[in-house]
Amino acid sequence: MFQSIVSYGLAVGAVYALIGITYNVMYSASRVFSFTAGMLGMLGGVLGALFIHKWGMNAVLGFVLVLGCGALMGLVTEILTVRPVLKSIEQHLYVLSTLAFALMIQQVTAIEWGTEAQPFPVLIPIETGTVSAWLDQKFLLPLLACAVTIAGLEYLYRRTLIGRAFLAIAEDSYAARALGLPETRLRLASYAIAGIIGTLAGFTGAQMLLAYFGNQAILSFYGFVPVALGGMGSNRGAVIGGLALGLFQQAANFLVGGIFAAVAVFAVFIVVLLIRPEGLAGAATARRV
Amino acid sequence: MSLRRRQVLAGSAATATALAAAGSFPAPAIAQSDPIKIGYLPALTGPSSSTGVGINRGTQLAVEEINKAGGIKGRKLELISRDTQSDPTKAVNAVAELTQRAKASIIWGPLNSGEALAATPLIARDKVPMLHPCWVDELIDVKKYPMAFRMAPTNTQVGKGANHYVVNVLKLKKVAVISDTTGYGTASVNTYVPMLKAMGAEVVYSNHVDAANPDLKPELLRMQNAGAQTIMPWSVNAGFLSRILNTRGAMNWDVPVVGQTTLGSGQTKALLDKPENWNKVYSNNFRNCCYVGGKLPERAAAFVERLKKEKIEFSDTLLWWVALGWDGAQMIADTFKAAGTKAEDVVAHMNKVKSWPGIYGTVTWTPQEHNGFPDQEVVMCEVNSLRDGAFNLAPGYSS
Repeated sequence: MFQSIVSYGLAVGAVYALIGITYNVMYSASRVFSFTAGMLGMLGGVLGALFIHKWGMNAVLGFVLVLGCGALMGLVTEILTVRPVLKSIEQHLYVLSTLAFALMIQQVTAIEWGTEAQPFPVLIPIETGTVSAWLDQKFLLPLLACAVTIAGLEYLYRRTLIGRAFLAIAEDSYAARALGLPETRLRLASYAIAGIIGTLAGFTGAQMLLAYFGNQAILSFYGFVPVALGGMGSNRGAVIGGLALGLFQQAANFLVGGIFAAVAVFAVFIVVLLIRPEGLAGAATARRV
Repeated sequence: MSLRRRQVLAGSAATATALAAAGSFPAPAIAQSDPIKIGYLPALTGPSSSTGVGINRGTQLAVEEINKAGGIKGRKLELISRDTQSDPTKAVNAVAELTQRAKASIIWGPLNSGEALAATPLIARDKVPMLHPCWVDELIDVKKYPMAFRMAPTNTQVGKGANHYVVNVLKLKKVAVISDTTGYGTASVNTYVPMLKAMGAEVVYSNHVDAANPDLKPELLRMQNAGAQTIMPWSVNAGFLSRILNTRGAMNWDVPVVGQTTLGSGQTKALLDKPENWNKVYSNNFRNCCYVGGKLPERAAAFVERLKKEKIEFSDTLLWWVALGWDGAQMIADTFKAAGTKAEDVVAHMNKVKSWPGIYGTVTWTPQEHNGFPDQEVVMCEVNSLRDGAFNLAPGYSS
């Protein structure tokens, strides 16, 4: 039981954390809370199964192609659904535009791919049962992806000039533009990175979650929880929130089970937000009056 | 005597009235050779279309065979087919067209419960007889829909068939019942659990679980700890069902799994970690379309021969779907042959159908009961024995 809670919980938590980071990366660059993060996760699984399982592509090539498609989706999201509504951001039109785009993609997936869950290939060809259950690739891959992503983002944001430029537009886009930073291109790049991270989450988690169009709704929601728990824009907070959510959800599955497990997750989520509305890792923002 | 125009007119009018009153006006000969219209509502595309595609092959074959043999008293059958695209709204629109504009003599379908729930009240309102193969119990109600008849078992009968297999054939008393959180899943568990208890079984576990939950080990451990001797899952979600089978396999837990037909679908099979996970899995099926000792019952065997001769593909679908499609059209043809096409006559005839020998099922209706499928023909089959669209009867039944 303990093994199952830890391995499954951490693996699912890593997928949630990655989706949370996807939300954050898009939010930092545009102050837009884009609802396409779950869609990217869903596409990671479906496209991976399509390229590798259906079309028989090499796993590495398929993986790169999936991430490429993710980046492309990120760019399309920015151009079609974010840029046109940025001017009137206080009206929150992006809620409608990004959500509509995500639902459209989900519908197309349902029509073209089908509404049944389909198998996702075993990526590393080793016999199941030869390694201990702790080291099963379906648990290890999401964790690995999460670690690589967070390390990569930390390096990008803290050690490179371009990363600092990202932080600059996230901090104050007007001032950044006044300094001559190419805000539009940096925003596009952020959305492409978010696309890659989102599809990476779906791809590495698909051996658990299967290639299923319905994963979009689950990932959109459970990926949002770590963002709310960890604080908007905080990637470290999203990782901690995501892993905690995964562990808690899996423990609830064992302890109460059935539909009550979901109720337990929501209850804790609401309690945490009541106690710390700014999130566990977020700093309370002072409002100027 | 001079005959005036007015007198002639008056005279002919009187004659016409007299003739009409005596009922001796012969109907124009042309009406007799008109085709008889059957309004047909299959879902040929969309998410629930696999059933529709299978049933459609049987229906088309039957109509072709009947027309080739001369039709119904010289009149051909004409299927006016409208694809509902698995969408209740489309089914509703098609009903208006078929009953009001096309003046269909009977409606065959919709073939899925979701669409039938929306379409049945409208067909009843337009007073057109209706025949359908959907399982939802509420679709048949002789008071609300006196012209609607069912060719298939109800959900209750399907559950009863599975419960009978577990309690009376396998003689297992401790049962775990699990479903997803959909309307179908929860309704099934809520109906079948009391039925199991009434049969003397002990339901040691019963729960609804979110189908998206990737790990069902906690639930299966709970079943195992409660001493369950069998798992009965009620869901049409292949992902959910395959997770139950894979977890059972990973736990090396050798209990039989008895439940919904989707357990035996190709989608479920594709999601299994290893083929052995499909062993000891029994899904709903129908006695007339199952192999017993490697052979199909006589009527089904002859039907398969005909399908092969007509080069109708059925290995990619299920034999019982094709057989059901054939039965529907044949039942309609037999009714028209015996009673003509008037709505009241059609219903009066169908109310008296007794032990009608279909390929899929033996149908009996009475004025009080429009559910025509017999309980004893709902059986379980071995899901890993699929061959030519049919399965082996599950072990333990006395033949």
